Amino acid sequence: MLRANAGKVIVFDGGFGSELERLGLSGGIPEELNITAADKIQSIHRSYSCADVATTNTFGLNPIKYRGKYSLREIAVKAVENARVSGNAVFFDVGPTGAMMQPMGELSFEKAYDAYKQVAEISRDIADGFIVETFSDLYEAKACILALKENSDLPIFATMTFDSTGRTLTGSTPEIVANTLTGIGVDALGVNCSLGPKELMPIVERLLASTDLPIIVQPNRGLPVLENGKTVYKLSCDEFEEYIEKMLDLGVSVIGGCCGTTPEFIERISRFSGKDVVKREYTPKTMVNSANVSCEIDGVKICGERLNPTGKKALKEALINHDLDHLVDEAIKQQDCGADILDVNAGLPQIDEKTLLPDIIRKIQEYCDLPLQIDSSDPAAIENAVRVYNGIPLINSVNSEREVMDRIFPIAKKYGAVVLGLAMDSHGVPKTAQERCEIAKRIIATAEEYGINRSRIMIDTLVVTASAEQQLVKETLRALEMVRKLGVKTALGVSNVSFGLPYRQLLNRTFLAMAFERGLNMPILNPLDSEMMGTARAYELLSGIDVNSQRYIELYKDFSPTAAVQTAVKAKTETAAATLYDCVKQGLKTHAAQLTKEELKTKDPMTVVNDVLIKALDDVGSLYESGKLFLPQLISSAEAAKTAFAVVTEYLPKDSEAKGKVVLATVKGDVHDIGKNIVKVVIESYGWQVVDLGKDVEIEDVVKAVQQHKPFALGLSALMTTTVPSMEETIKAVRAAGCKVNIFVGGAVLNAETAERIGADYYTKDALEIAKKLDEVLSNV
Amino acid sequence: MNYSDIEKIKPQIYKYLGFYGVETNEQTDVLITHCISQLEKTAQFNYIYMSYENTPDFLQKEPYIDFLQGAGGVILCAMTLGIQTDKLIERLFRTDMSKAVVMDAAASAYLEYLSDGYEKTLGDDLSFRFCPGYGGSTVEDLKYIFELIHPEKIGITLNNSNFMLPAKSMAGIIAIGKKSRKSCKGCIMLKDCKFLNGGTKCYEQTQVK
Repeated sequence: MLRANAGKVIVFDGGFGSELERLGLSGGIPEELNITAADKIQSIHRSYSCADVATTNTFGLNPIKYRGKYSLREIAVKAVENARVSGNAVFFDVGPTGAMMQPMGELSFEKAYDAYKQVAEISRDIADGFIVETFSDLYEAKACILALKENSDLPIFATMTFDSTGRTLTGSTPEIVANTLTGIGVDALGVNCSLGPKELMPIVERLLASTDLPIIVQPNRGLPVLENGKTVYKLSCDEFEEYIEKMLDLGVSVIGGCCGTTPEFIERISRFSGKDVVKREYTPKTMVNSANVSCEIDGVKICGERLNPTGKKALKEALINHDLDHLVDEAIKQQDCGADILDVNAGLPQIDEKTLLPDIIRKIQEYCDLPLQIDSSDPAAIENAVRVYNGIPLINSVNSEREVMDRIFPIAKKYGAVVLGLAMDSHGVPKTAQERCEIAKRIIATAEEYGINRSRIMIDTLVVTASAEQQLVKETLRALEMVRKLGVKTALGVSNVSFGLPYRQLLNRTFLAMAFERGLNMPILNPLDSEMMGTARAYELLSGIDVNSQRYIELYKDFSPTAAVQTAVKAKTETAAATLYDCVKQGLKTHAAQLTKEELKTKDPMTVVNDVLIKALDDVGSLYESGKLFLPQLISSAEAAKTAFAVVTEYLPKDSEAKGKVVLATVKGDVHDIGKNIVKVVIESYGWQVVDLGKDVEIEDVVKAVQQHKPFALGLSALMTTTVPSMEETIKAVRAAGCKVNIFVGGAVLNAETAERIGADYYTKDALEIAKKLDEVLSNV
Repeated sequence: MNYSDIEKIKPQIYKYLGFYGVETNEQTDVLITHCISQLEKTAQFNYIYMSYENTPDFLQKEPYIDFLQGAGGVILCAMTLGIQTDKLIERLFRTDMSKAVVMDAAASAYLEYLSDGYEKTLGDDLSFRFCPGYGGSTVEDLKYIFELIHPEKIGITLNNSNFMLPAKSMAGIIAIGKKSRKSCKGCIMLKDCKFLNGGTKCYEQTQVK
């Protein structure tokens, strides 16, 4: 079998589309030509027989993209048969589905997986390998590769496309692509299509530096140019060959061509076939990543601890109620405060971690692009979460108990995760640094048995509480030094040190500074604690990690203790001078809560609502209607009022909380939800409780939500003519289910006539109008 | 993007936000400048096109016939700011609503600005971009553009409701060798167009006060 790591250069074939065009076969579905024009397809394969590997003409052959008249299997069989005429090894070509993955698009990870599982099933017994190519979304590539690996034993070569910014179209850097694809265990990885060989050079260099796997490069024939109204490729064979040779000199193992390259090009580079691959220097790194952010654990990296319910009442409640929005807000806050990685833990007895943890991971990754640390004691929950995670996560954790390691390491190996090992065993945390270091060695050795390089292991030398075991604090620090000498990176849950002592912050930040100096890489702490974060930033400066003090200066250039006090005093006076009415009118969200509390000292809650909040909103509303004030300000005011309303609600008797519920949804097929989001914040500011179902909502989900919440109103939004029918069906389904609810519709292409025609009760043109109409309808009940 | 270019696209952003023929304010002005600088860091602009001497079949109907009358060829094109821009806007809707609406408007204007700039490099005898959905045409025609030029290559997908994703994407038809002017003719929004009611047109450069 052809092996990418045999140390010899392998040559793949070249462009297929351009050859089809040359034979007059452009247009139609290219994959069907395997059956309808087998002779011509074979002639193309023959013309590439100088290569080592033939790629089947099956780029779009997956159940999501291919919508033709043949079965996938029929085409697959013919395609492999056609490629066999080249006399070379045959790799089955696997391309993207052409659909956008969730959360931005509609294709779920599971559906993508199933599609590629079918591809594996039709090709695994007839081809010699897979070439997964031209992917631009790392998440789709992960779904595809997992499906191929789990449903076949053939080698997998995978290439992605990059644009001139050096990122894939979904924003992954070469380092992220290399780390992720290496982690999930492809046999070779690289880049195809995208650009010409010259432009690809910097990307190739970065790929080579980010993995020890063989690198594939299949460039286009330069950049296309418009000539006499025709798109043409103009790079010469000589130049193409010259750049390929340069890449081989850097250590590339597999070469070939993409758009615009012809048999002549491949003939030229086939002279490199079988030559020894140039050896390259590679130092493994401890790196985790999301699709867009990579984090090499080196120097100082902060892991945010706030998404762990232990001791956090609000988070516990959010987890129990599946209120994932609360978690997203926490994630964003930590990111904004400078965290590099976020710990995610959903370990509560009341919840099913196996299903909730992956949901949380998806939801957080939708809004926050930091790499995540998946924290659980349940291996099934860990596997489910790691599987749907987009990128390479950190797993927290294993200890040196064989049973634990035997359950976690296979998961880490399969998905390429980095594992945090705790320097403890079934007897607990050993007293001395020496013993903890021995445990670390055992963890590393066991990982290596599972084929996990020590660069994918980190060790937590475990913090003890100074109040209970004062003399052992230094053992933790000594262990950091010893463990670092084993060639692994370190972590510590720092704030445990001060438990039970006064002025904990002082101890925490002092201990943090001590730990950094002894070799701590990743403290797990609260990134919202500015003193702790400040200590980290100061350490980076003083130890020379923060080159030219750039980051420190950027963060603290305007800082002075007096200025900090002055700002606080100023803010206080300003707040004191402003009224809640002005605050809402000017859209000053930050002061709204405090001012509301002030007002509530002298007024009863309903008076605050009617005489202050609603009055301010109405005044802002009429300024908006008369064109004296605009959308951004209207929204700021609504947000300030919403904050105030939340405070008032606490003072109201429970049964009179809000005016009622409103369920909002952007209808099935429609993915634009800006208008709906604006409606949400505005009607919330008027005291309605909103259940937001999001965008592209299935009809049955709308019906279910209406049945469950029994809202006063249902608001549906559609932006374009093509989704109005879906709105109509949604209304029909809600009515057919016998739900008594006032249905409001809105969106760019709707008007009162359309609204009536599709069976809605009310059409409102904007957020303000729906707020008023809701009140009007309510008062008529 | 330099200062004068930012000033050039500002009126368009204000227009998308609903400011027409009225005074802008400093608060929004600062926000717009900030949004554009963030877009410059986030957006991954990509443009794909193919040119045709013979008009593709799906354009053999009105309003395209009229639009292409007298043209020496046609370019089909698609362009996007990439999925990161969509993500940026989505995230802002959670953290800062007013900035989110400004960012949304700014991204639309920024995409047009970059596309116009790119098209200048393709030739100086090109018409404006006529996008399916404009004046009497239907968005269903997008599927033909997708079949022909494969905007998937630059990361644009088309869903069953004919929405392009990333949301900040466009696809269009350009007449070669023909100057033409945009008009409101055949527009589905003509009856209750907020721009016309505000004394302007969606495609017209309007000065804001």
